[in-house]
Amino acid sequence: MPNEPAVPLLNVQIDGVWHQFPKGTRVIEACEQVGIFVPRYCYHKKLSSPGNCRMCLIEMGFPRLGPDRKPELGADGKPIINWMPRPQICCAQDVAEGMAVRTDSPLVKECQRGVLEFLLINHPLDCPICDQAGECPLQEFSVDYGNSQSRFLENKVKKPKAVQLGPRVTLDDERCILCSRCIRFCQEIAHDDVLGFVDRGSHTVLTAHPGRSLDNNYSLNTVDICPVGALTSTDFRFKMRVWFLKETKSICTSCATGCNTVIGTREDVIYRQTPRENDHVNSSWMCDFGRLNYKYLEAPDRLLEPQIRSEGRLVPADWPTAIGQAALQLKQFAGSEIAIVASGRMTNEELWLTTQLANSLGVKRIDIVPRRGKADHILLSKDRNPNTNGARLILGSSSAPGAKLLSIASAVRSGAIKALVILKENAMHLGLSVEELGQMPALIVMNTLPNEATQNATVVLPACGFAEKRGSMVNGKGRLQRLNRAVRPPGNARDDWEILRDLLQATGGGNSLHSIEEVFRRISETVPQFGGLSLSKIGDAGVHILQIEELPPTQPQDQKAIEEAIEIQTRRRAVHEQVHEARARVGASSIEREAAPPR
Amino acid sequence: MADATRIQIPAELEQSMDAAITRYPSDHRRSAALPLLHLWQEHFGFISDEAIFWIAHKLGLEPINILEVVTFYPMFRQHPAGKTHIRVCRTLSCAMAGGLDVMEHLCARLGIRRPNDGDEMHNPIAVSADGNYSVEFVECLASCHTAPVCMVGEKLLEKVNPNSAAELVTNPQSPIGNPKLAWPPNSLEHRLVYKNVGRPGWTTDIDCYLRDGGYEQLKQALTLSRDDIVNKVKNSGLRGRGGAGFSCGLKWSFIKPDEKRPVYLICNADESEPGTFKDRYIIHDDPHQLLEGMLISCYALGAHTAYIYIRGEFPEGAKILERAIEEARQHNFLGKNILGSGFDVEFYIHRGAGAYICGEETGLIESLEGKRGYPRIKPPYFPAVLGLYMCPTIVNNVETLCNIKHIIAMGGAEYARLGRPNNTGTRVLCVSGDVQRPGYFEVEVGAVTMGQLIYEMAGGLHPGRKLKAVIPGGSSAKVLRADERFKLKERKADGSTIEREISIDDIPMDFDSLAAAGSMAGSGGVIVLDDSRDMLWVLNNINKFYAHESCGQCTPCREGSLWMQKITDRMLRGGGVIEDPKQLKTIGDNIAGRTICAFGEACAWPTQSFVQKFPDEFAARAQKPIPPPLPPEYTSEELIEEQSIPIVPMAHDPGWEKAGAKGTI
Repeated sequence: MPNEPAVPLLNVQIDGVWHQFPKGTRVIEACEQVGIFVPRYCYHKKLSSPGNCRMCLIEMGFPRLGPDRKPELGADGKPIINWMPRPQICCAQDVAEGMAVRTDSPLVKECQRGVLEFLLINHPLDCPICDQAGECPLQEFSVDYGNSQSRFLENKVKKPKAVQLGPRVTLDDERCILCSRCIRFCQEIAHDDVLGFVDRGSHTVLTAHPGRSLDNNYSLNTVDICPVGALTSTDFRFKMRVWFLKETKSICTSCATGCNTVIGTREDVIYRQTPRENDHVNSSWMCDFGRLNYKYLEAPDRLLEPQIRSEGRLVPADWPTAIGQAALQLKQFAGSEIAIVASGRMTNEELWLTTQLANSLGVKRIDIVPRRGKADHILLSKDRNPNTNGARLILGSSSAPGAKLLSIASAVRSGAIKALVILKENAMHLGLSVEELGQMPALIVMNTLPNEATQNATVVLPACGFAEKRGSMVNGKGRLQRLNRAVRPPGNARDDWEILRDLLQATGGGNSLHSIEEVFRRISETVPQFGGLSLSKIGDAGVHILQIEELPPTQPQDQKAIEEAIEIQTRRRAVHEQVHEARARVGASSIEREAAPPR
Repeated sequence: MADATRIQIPAELEQSMDAAITRYPSDHRRSAALPLLHLWQEHFGFISDEAIFWIAHKLGLEPINILEVVTFYPMFRQHPAGKTHIRVCRTLSCAMAGGLDVMEHLCARLGIRRPNDGDEMHNPIAVSADGNYSVEFVECLASCHTAPVCMVGEKLLEKVNPNSAAELVTNPQSPIGNPKLAWPPNSLEHRLVYKNVGRPGWTTDIDCYLRDGGYEQLKQALTLSRDDIVNKVKNSGLRGRGGAGFSCGLKWSFIKPDEKRPVYLICNADESEPGTFKDRYIIHDDPHQLLEGMLISCYALGAHTAYIYIRGEFPEGAKILERAIEEARQHNFLGKNILGSGFDVEFYIHRGAGAYICGEETGLIESLEGKRGYPRIKPPYFPAVLGLYMCPTIVNNVETLCNIKHIIAMGGAEYARLGRPNNTGTRVLCVSGDVQRPGYFEVEVGAVTMGQLIYEMAGGLHPGRKLKAVIPGGSSAKVLRADERFKLKERKADGSTIEREISIDDIPMDFDSLAAAGSMAGSGGVIVLDDSRDMLWVLNNINKFYAHESCGQCTPCREGSLWMQKITDRMLRGGGVIEDPKQLKTIGDNIAGRTICAFGEACAWPTQSFVQKFPDEFAARAQKPIPPPLPPEYTSEELIEEQSIPIVPMAHDPGWEKAGAKGTI
């Protein structure tokens, strides 16, 4: 980049080859940059370096200086290196001019063998039942750098097993290799200094204070960075061998941050979600709320079949019938009598199709439901919609998202609106009561889970959750990112964009949209910020497409309307949750919901 | 969860805690963790869960921060002890002198059932049924020449006769038979630092010190420039007396003269290397000499705050130093604008709590910051650059700092004339173990040989005994065999060197000669072993010490130190397999040089050297065939097969065979 101040490049010899690295590069990272992996346990590039595991010991040296303080050159014209007698760790030192390192010398190999032997003598041999097996550096390095046989004849040190460190994390202290990554994560990233070592020497034990638990919203990241099977996710524990998991790169849709993720699935069942490194978005972390917010996709009351209202009851229908019925109902009314409530949880492609649908029907009243929570100033955004920015760009509205909701609601009450299309939202959020909804001549609802709106709908269109579809979203900082399909939708549920495309076609528009790529191409042609991009060009890491100032400014009166809408939404949500809890108490529902499903 | 704000403690206690907190910078209240825990334990007897919450709240910390500290330091206990708590030293010199017998007799007389040391970190505290007495094995109490020793409450009992130990404890009237300090000094001694130790009529108060010309060197130093003093120290060639022998002047020169951050001086009074007890007598008998040395050092370094990190097992010493500091303040040697020089300086005592690793300078700094004593990585945390509170810090040993006073008095060049080139000055050697007159001897470095030290100064071996081995510089130094021949290079006056082959008796007691002999001068603690000693037993005792004291940070030391102990435990119990000696050595090889701090070497060197130098003795105890690899997985119990082999019980088991108790064959 031309405007950045030049960082001086330093000459470093790695395994006999000279390379150049910018000043400030860690030696271990420098090695990695040239394709030489130095094994490590305690080192994590996003955390401080305690240098305690001693796995990354290498040989280090500097040029021998002559009497003129200049490096002496050998027969090959290269500096002669004075090697330090003791091996050095490479995780805590930055490169220096003339530094030389050897990562594969006999001494280094002996150090690695020695450290691994020490790590294993008190480590239980329970790999067959350990969740970490298959993605365990202790296993991997043992094969790569360790001994094949144990010389240890003594009794192993006994430590606590299956300790509940917090609601979501279970600890096996005997497996712990005391690398302190989790402690440093809690101190440095989560700002919740809750873990620590007690006792001393080989008897050192990782623990939380008995009066405190590891219950912060980032606790599961400790499981990710634990190099062994000591910290395990209580949710994932003993559920699935990791080598059976299909890994799909995607993004979290629980807030506007859009943390990059890997969804681990097997045979259309999601087993876990883990963060994927992206320094533009989420570093290497994600919050527990987002991570566990996938269970609703397997909820027993998932909408599995299209339904149409017949003689006051919802009855299952096939897709052509349901789409035809929805189009028929909508076409009865003039555009001014129809409102569309879309969602900030929809992808850009879905939102674009929604605008096409609105155009086709002549609908002017269209908005999304804002969703706010408390920001934690780590990753969790106060905007809990993942695609508010996408909605702003694609809906092209000059008012802030959610500003029209109250007027839509009052128009419904006054009878001015006769048909309501609710996409991936609950009409309750508008402040409409069940009775008011029940009186709507046409209520077309697309969603994954049933709610008050679906129960009173005239047509119900079962759609996909975030892990079941493809598409793109624009996060709170203006980065365009991609969702990927990790599992197929259950039952007869369909991909949202296809439902909207079919509905659009049934109302008389939307020709030749055969693929989601085609939809994206249309967006890139019509929305300037998407210009020149395609779904594949977004890539796994996303593309920055807008500075936040580019967004339409929020009108003060809009803000007031949004606050009101949110307040109604919050109130309704509270009532809803109370009912839900009451039901759970009497045993009407045994589903354990760990995170908020998007009802 | 306890609510820290609801816990009530006596107002007086809280006042003293508040006072303790003021000794540290206001943005580093965490440093007061150890002082507060000491105060709490002194008042309530143990550290309760409430205490952890209360102290954490008081210091603005999480309870885990305090729990981490409580469990790291063995002096803090989480359960009540008896009304009288007895700490019996189990480390080498005391164990050889019958320290284990002391424990056995105490348990028998006081009606205490002491559990076998199980697979636990700290030695268990056993309380008598009536709750009046409790006993605990502790590591070296730094009084090896008066072994065996124990501490009853805060009182040190020396040369304890196992048979009368219980009487001393139960009967407050019984006379304590602690030996008097030896006087006059041996004719081979050259006393500078120890000039007043044991001197008749000498007292620790400032008047006595002033009558002897005390604080004159401080006054003189205040007329010099800081550079002058640093140069004097450089010219003196003074090497650190704590163990590493690093040049003191060089260390000081790392502090930039125009340093903007506060500079700290820390006096390392955490003397705990087994076999070493030299700092004890400076602290207990000549505290003002230490203060004067520190004051001159502070002035030279531009340090306005100094901490004396004194080991927790010196409660008496801490009180003496507190009093000395108060006296010095009254005389304006300490405080604002000392002696009208415009220089402000303040000293504070910080007590440790039983962790050997806090003698390592970066471990000490962490401990002083109120954390577990985990040594720091170097680079980047060189104390002179990023030390206490990430400020430039100089950590010097007690004896080193005392020498500063004498360097000012004599001048650097004159001081350098004492001793040998590169090994200048005097140093205090501590002799313990199998000699007739163990004790401390201040000699010019290298002026006496090992033979002179053992035979002429320490009274020689016990009648009928022959020298078997010497550990020359604290228990971590490599052992020297009595019949070894050593090749030492000697520099002659014209600069040429000649190589001499000498016996152990002829090794000069200096840094370079002992290093050339394959060991080190270390902390000056010389442990003499005669031909009655079982080297496996000795090594096992040392291994226990290091396994107990490993901080547990680095993998090799954490796992290796306990592994070596477990192997020697098993060998002692008759379960040694053929591979054991070789295995012990390779474990040591895998630790030494691969850890953050020098503890790696400290715990590896004894094993490496004992196994290498006494191969027959170790081979004789490692006769069993190597068991086949898995399956079946062997346990050490299975290897021992209790009936079929003669058992030498573990030394710390109550009821061991008498012959084995002191490690004698």
